[in-house]
Amino acid sequence: MAEAGAVAAAVAHNEKEGERTLNRLALAFVALGLIFAAVAASSGDVFFFRLASEALIFGGLALSVDLLLGFAGMLSLGQALFFGLGAYVSALVLKNLLPSFWLAMGITLAVATVAGMVAAVISIRARGVYFALITFGLAQVVAKVVYNVPRLGASDGIIGIPSIRIHLGLFDIDAASPAGFFLFCLGFMMLLYAACVYLMRSPAGRVLAAIRSNEDRVPFLGYPVGLAKVLAFVLAADVAALSGALYPMLRGFVSPELLYFEVSGNAVITAIIGGAGTLIGPLYGSVLIVGLRSVIGSYTSHHLIVIGSLFMLAVVFFPQGLIGFIARRREQRRLRRVAVVP
Amino acid sequence: MTAVRVDESGPAIDRGDVFLAVEPILVMRDLSVRFGALRAVEGVSFDVVPGSITSIIGPNGAGKSTLFNLISGALRPDNGRVHLAGHDVTGKSPNRLLAAGLARSFQITNLFFELSVFENLRLAAQRLEPGWRSLLPAKASRAALQRTEELIERFELGAGATDPAGSLSHGQQRRLEIAVAVATRPRLLLLDEPTQGMSHGDTVETSALISSLAGELTLLLIEHDVDLVMNLSDRVMVMHQGMKLAEGTPAEVRANADVQAAYFGEVDGA
Repeated sequence: MAEAGAVAAAVAHNEKEGERTLNRLALAFVALGLIFAAVAASSGDVFFFRLASEALIFGGLALSVDLLLGFAGMLSLGQALFFGLGAYVSALVLKNLLPSFWLAMGITLAVATVAGMVAAVISIRARGVYFALITFGLAQVVAKVVYNVPRLGASDGIIGIPSIRIHLGLFDIDAASPAGFFLFCLGFMMLLYAACVYLMRSPAGRVLAAIRSNEDRVPFLGYPVGLAKVLAFVLAADVAALSGALYPMLRGFVSPELLYFEVSGNAVITAIIGGAGTLIGPLYGSVLIVGLRSVIGSYTSHHLIVIGSLFMLAVVFFPQGLIGFIARRREQRRLRRVAVVP
Repeated sequence: MTAVRVDESGPAIDRGDVFLAVEPILVMRDLSVRFGALRAVEGVSFDVVPGSITSIIGPNGAGKSTLFNLISGALRPDNGRVHLAGHDVTGKSPNRLLAAGLARSFQITNLFFELSVFENLRLAAQRLEPGWRSLLPAKASRAALQRTEELIERFELGAGATDPAGSLSHGQQRRLEIAVAVATRPRLLLLDEPTQGMSHGDTVETSALISSLAGELTLLLIEHDVDLVMNLSDRVMVMHQGMKLAEGTPAEVRANADVQAAYFGEVDGA
């Protein structure tokens, strides 16, 4: 028993070290965000606050892609469906019902959960490339429908969404304040991130890793694969929709472009460049991609050429992505250190 | 069909005409499945007595693995029923069967190759926790960790426990294949050629492991190694061309002329 206990202890130690590395990278992300906020606030900036808030919001979308791709091994090419859904539901609630943050979030969550279940039932039986194509198709269908429904603003989208105050119990945040809304987005995304990390590190989350590794064996361990995949899919839909729900609060409008493949494709690229399976990677990746798009976009309208090339280079040279690469380097250093000590 | 002697020390077998002394844990009745024109399994009826080691033997293509797939929920029978511990489980999904106490291993090693040996076992063992606990941090699941440790020790997998299962030697992977199935604490364990491709030394060790399991659960195995089957088993069922050819104690089966003709090939012109 002593020897076996040692094995479990070694495994637990390895796991803890790996998790600690990612936790530190998440803390570093928050720290960088706060430093950025201090610098930007002291210079009275608006543009970069808005851009950084947008990076965080699209980071939430990439996080939802990572839940599926990095854990359950499901490549969704239609995650914009839920992001756009969240944005539209939030916009409609704020404009037509009540300009309340919590009401918008609550209704978004409910609608996204139902939509996620429906989409899961349609797509989950297919695997690999077929699953990717079905999610792609679903998003395209919904985008075209929204594009043609006058009541949803058709091709113009919905404009004139009122600016809101977000009540957080002890204090309020004015969504129109660039710094305030940025800090709110940072806190909100870190909460979403923490919830995802918690779930993915639980025994239930590990079943997803088993599904990615060898789906056909999982039922023989007693786990219903279909149910696990539906739950993962709905969770990812909720994360994407809640992120999307922040979009009209930032921009004051929504448009059908939010549902388009470019948004879904960008989210996949972001998750992979940041590091699939790390959860914090997609947030870093989003800062990188949104930042690059803005910088390159100010010189040329062909920024997609640059981002596409970058993506190819990243896949070839850093297949684990930015954060995956850093975490692996640290792990190897640690193991070398351990090996030296007898 | 000859009368059956009900021996108090050994398992009693239902042959339809004999009263059962022990209720079988697994009952198959008239199981059939076809793949197109091929009758892979045809009208097989068979019982497994709790606490026994029962083996299914037969030449390649006899339908042994297909029969396993029918029992374990991997395939649905076209005809016939399967009862597990008194409940009709015909056509139930593998995860429901596991909840009812039936686990299996695979002839072709079927593990989570990218995950560590430890994680392979923990995934199987973490089912032992009640459902809501599966949302607590994994390190909180003491029962799963303890079970995993137990199995690593018992199956001597400690040396490479943190390595990916895919990096183990073939013999170790075969052992892990059994350990993963055992980790779920089944009442009935189906082992599909557990010693497939093993060296002689590994085969001997694995055979000892299997007989050590017999005290805690019921074993049903498919095995090609006839010596191993004859030494290990309480009962043997012989399949040939999808049908049951014979069943009985190892000695009875060995003496059966049909079996010798079909399987051992020792009798000419039978």
